[in-house]
Amino acid sequence: MGQGKSQFSEEELQDYEDLTYFTKKEVLYAHQKFKALAPEKVGHNKNAKLPMAKILQYPELRVNPFRDRICKVFSSSNDGDCTFEDFLDMMSVFSDTAPKAVKAEHAFRIFDFDGDDMIGVSDLREVINRLCGPEHKLTDSEIQQLVQNVLEEADLDDDGALSFAEFEHIIDKSSDFCHSFRIRL
Amino acid sequence: MEDQIEEMELKPVNVRRTFTLRSNVARQVAVNFMPSRQLPYGTLRLRRTTSENNVLLESSGDETDKQAEIIVREMEQHQRLMEDNPVSEELRREALRDLPQGLTMKRNVRAKLSASVSLRSKHRPINMFKRLKYRISFAWKKARDRISDLIFSIELWYEAIRHVEGHFGSAVGSYFHFLRWLFALDLVLAVLVISFVVVPQALHDQHRNRTGSMGFLDFVSGKGGFEDSLLFYGHYHDGDIVTTGPLTYNMPFAYFFTMLCLYFLFFALLCYRTAYSYRRNFIEIAGGLSNVFASKVFCGWDFGITSQQAAALNASSIYNEFKELLSEQNKNQVTKSFWTKFWQCLVNIVVTAFVLGLIISLEYGLWQLLSSETDLSRWEIYVSSIVTFVLAVCPILFHLIVRLEFYKPRTGFYVTLARTGLLDIGTLTLLLVYWARSGSECWETSMGQEAYRLVILDALLSLFLIPLVEFARSFIFKMNPSDSPPEFNIAYNSLTLIYNQAVLWYGMLFSPLLTVVVTFKFFLLFYVKRECALRACQPARKVWRAAQTQTVLYMLVTLSLFTTLFTIGSLFVRGSSQHCGPFRGYEAVYSVVSEGVLQLARRRTLAQVLAFLTRPGVIAFLLLSLCVAVYYMRAKARAQRSMVGILRRMLVLQSKDKDFLLAAIDKVSNGEWLYSPKPEDQGADSHTWKYLQEVRKPSNAGYHFDPTRLNHSMIERPRSYAKDIRPNSYHMERRKSSEDGETDSSFSWQGSGNCLNKENDAEVGKWL
Repeated sequence: MGQGKSQFSEEELQDYEDLTYFTKKEVLYAHQKFKALAPEKVGHNKNAKLPMAKILQYPELRVNPFRDRICKVFSSSNDGDCTFEDFLDMMSVFSDTAPKAVKAEHAFRIFDFDGDDMIGVSDLREVINRLCGPEHKLTDSEIQQLVQNVLEEADLDDDGALSFAEFEHIIDKSSDFCHSFRIRL
Repeated sequence: MEDQIEEMELKPVNVRRTFTLRSNVARQVAVNFMPSRQLPYGTLRLRRTTSENNVLLESSGDETDKQAEIIVREMEQHQRLMEDNPVSEELRREALRDLPQGLTMKRNVRAKLSASVSLRSKHRPINMFKRLKYRISFAWKKARDRISDLIFSIELWYEAIRHVEGHFGSAVGSYFHFLRWLFALDLVLAVLVISFVVVPQALHDQHRNRTGSMGFLDFVSGKGGFEDSLLFYGHYHDGDIVTTGPLTYNMPFAYFFTMLCLYFLFFALLCYRTAYSYRRNFIEIAGGLSNVFASKVFCGWDFGITSQQAAALNASSIYNEFKELLSEQNKNQVTKSFWTKFWQCLVNIVVTAFVLGLIISLEYGLWQLLSSETDLSRWEIYVSSIVTFVLAVCPILFHLIVRLEFYKPRTGFYVTLARTGLLDIGTLTLLLVYWARSGSECWETSMGQEAYRLVILDALLSLFLIPLVEFARSFIFKMNPSDSPPEFNIAYNSLTLIYNQAVLWYGMLFSPLLTVVVTFKFFLLFYVKRECALRACQPARKVWRAAQTQTVLYMLVTLSLFTTLFTIGSLFVRGSSQHCGPFRGYEAVYSVVSEGVLQLARRRTLAQVLAFLTRPGVIAFLLLSLCVAVYYMRAKARAQRSMVGILRRMLVLQSKDKDFLLAAIDKVSNGEWLYSPKPEDQGADSHTWKYLQEVRKPSNAGYHFDPTRLNHSMIERPRSYAKDIRPNSYHMERRKSSEDGETDSSFSWQGSGNCLNKENDAEVGKWL
C-alpha cells in the first residue's frame, strides 16, 4: 500500500473516509484493486476514467448478470465508464457496512432498466431473464406468470409497477438481501 | 373480516393491471411533490425529488454543477444541517454519505456546502461545556475510526474467506465466518484464562519437578504426567501465591472470579448476538406480505460470486427454483384429506418418539458403559472414542431419518439441528453428572480429562478422517462423474463447530487450558476446511439461505452455554472435592464469596440481610414480579401488533385513495372531467358512490350531468355508456376499450372509482 499512499493527499483520504463507508486503509486497498485493472493508466492518473470493459474485469462484476447496469448506475458520466471515485462509491455501497436503505436505493436503480423511476413489467422480465442466465430460457408465459406473481406480492397500489417505496418494502422484509447484495472489497 | 382485508391485500386486481397501462412517469413526478416525500433529512428522498427536478432541467449545459446546486439548495433548507458546529457537521457528513449520488458529486456538494456554511455562520462563542462535549465526541469518533482501520488491517483470513465465497457463494462463506467468529471468541477466552489463571499458577510451579510418563497415549487420555499439570483443575493451588514484592495473589479468588466473569460475560455476549440476529432475521421480516417470488427475483443473485462455474450454477439454481415455484402454484391445490393429514401427523409423532427413544437409550448405554468395571487398560480412551464416534454418526443418521417425515425442507433441517443439539448437550450433561457422582478422589479433574479427550479425539476425526473421506469422494467423482459431486455440507460442519464449542463450555472450568486447545483446533480446522472446500467439493446446486440458519446456530451455542451454567451451578458450586483444586479450603465453592470476600462469619448484620434475601419468600416474590413484568410486556406487544395491522390496512386503503385521486387529477388536467351517475347495480354499496351521493350532491357542487361531455372514446363507440345504460355494460366497456392498448382517455372519472374492482368494492364498503 506504500505506493498507493503517495497518490493521495491526506485531505483527499479524509474526504473519502467521510463520504463512504470505508476507512482510510480500505480506501487505499480499493485503490490497489482499481489500479490492478489498468496499472499504467491509473499509475499515471490516480482518478483515471476506465472504460466499462476494463471495469468489468473485476472478478465479481465479470460474472454478474447485471454488470452493465451496475457500471451505468455508478458511472458519473452515465455511460458505464468509471473513475476511481465511481469505483470507490460502488464498492462502498456494496460493502458490509452500508445500510440497507442505501443498498436498496441502488438496487432499485440497477433493476430499473428503462430509467422511468419505476420497476415495470418490462424491467421485471429483463431481471428474470438475466437471472436465469444464457443457458436456460423460461417460456414467455412462465415469465408472464412470474411477473404477475411478483406484482401481486409487491405492488401495493396496483399501478402495475413497483415504485421505490414498494421495492424498499420488499427489501425490508427480506433477510437475505444484505447477504446477497454484497461485494467484498 | 381480517381475512377479507388480507385477501384484498394479496390479490390485487389482475384484470385491471393487465388492461390499464398508464404513464407512470408523469404520475411519479406528481407524487414526488407530495408533502410526504419532502421529509426532513430524507436524504434518500432528496435525490429522488432533485433528480426529478433535474429531469426537468436536463437540457442545460453543465449538468453536474447544476445538479449539485440543486442538492445544496435542498440541504440549505434544513436548519439543523446548516449550523456551524460539529454536530451539524456530522449530520451533514452522514446526510451526504447516504446520498445516492456519485462520489464526485458528493465532493462537489460538500465543497459548496461548507462554503455556504461558513458564509452563514455568525461565529458565536460557544461555552466551555459545549466545547468539551464536542471535543469528547470528536475524540471518540477519531478513536472509532482508528479502531476500525486497525481491525481491517488485522482482519484474519479476509482474502481466504473472500476467495471461498467467490467460488461457493455466501452460504459457505457464512460457515467460515461463523468459524472465524468462534475462533476469535475462544482466542479472547484463552488469553484471559491464561493471563489470570494459568500464568500465576505457572509462576507458583517454577520450583516443582514433574513426574509421570508423558507418552502419546497419555497425551490423548490426559493421564499420567498430564494429570497433575496446568491442564487440569486438580493441580491448581488453594492459597496465596507469594511474589517477590509485598503483594500476594489469591488463587481461589482468581480462579473463581475469572471463571465467573468469563462465563457470564460470554453468556451476555452470546445472548446479545443471538437476540440481534433473531431480531434482524426473524422479527423484522415477520408479518406483512408474503414475498416468495419478489425476494427470489430481487435477492436471488449472490453478488459475491467470482467464478464462472459458480455463476452458472447460481443461474441454473435460480432457474430451477422459478420452475418449482411455478409448478407448485399451477398444481391444483389438492386439499389433503383428513386421513392423509392424520397419517402424516402420526408418522411425524412416531418418528420423533423413535428418535427421542434412541437418544435416551444412547444416553443410558453411555451411563452403563461408564460405570462398567473393566480391567482393560486405557478404558477411558475407548469410552471417549465411542462417544465421539456416536456423536459424529448420529447427525448423519438424523438427517436420513428426517426424510421419512413430512416436513418442509427448512423445518426438517431445524428439526435435525434440534435433535443433534439435544443429543450433544444431553451427552455432555450426562458426563458431567456421572463424574460429579462418581465419588472419585478428584472428580473435577476427571471431568476435565473427559472434555479434553473428547476435544482431542474429535480433532483426529474432523482434522484427518473427515477430510480424508471428502477427498476420497471427490476422487471417486473424478473417476466416475455420473455420481453426484460431493458438496460442502454446511449443516454438518456447523454442527461440528457447535459441538466443540459446547465441550469447551462444559470443560473450561475443569481444564482451563482447554480454551487454548480448542482455539488451536479451530485455527487448524479453518485451513483444513478451506482446502477441503476448494479442492474436494463442488458448489451446491441448491441455494442455501444463510441468514436465518445462522441465527439458529447462534441459538444453539447460547443454549449449550446456558445448560452448562445451569448444570455447573447446581453440581459444582454446591459441593466440590475436598482433596484437590483451588477450592479445597472451602466448604462449598460459593463460600469463596461468602467467607473469603464478604467474611459473613464476622459481619452478623450483612449475613442476616443476605439470609433474608435468599429466603424462599423473597425469591418467590421476585419470580412473581418477573412474571407480571413479562405478562405486561406481552400484552403491550400484542397491542402493538394489532396496531400495526390496522395501520397496514390503512396504508393500503390510502394508497388506493391516492391512486384514485391522482387518476381524477389526471383527467381534470386533460380536460376530461366528467361526472356521471353510476349504473344502478353497483351503486348502492360502493363507498365512492355514497360519497358522490352525500357530499357532492349536484346541487351544492354545481355539477350537472352532461352527456355531451362524456369521454370521446366512449362516444365514438356504438354501445357507449351514455346511450346504453344496462347492467354490467360498464365493465365490459372498460375491458373492451382498454384492450386496444394504451387508451389514456378511456379512463374516466368513474373508471377510477373502479380501481377497487367489483368484489373488492363490496368488501371495502362493508369494512368501512
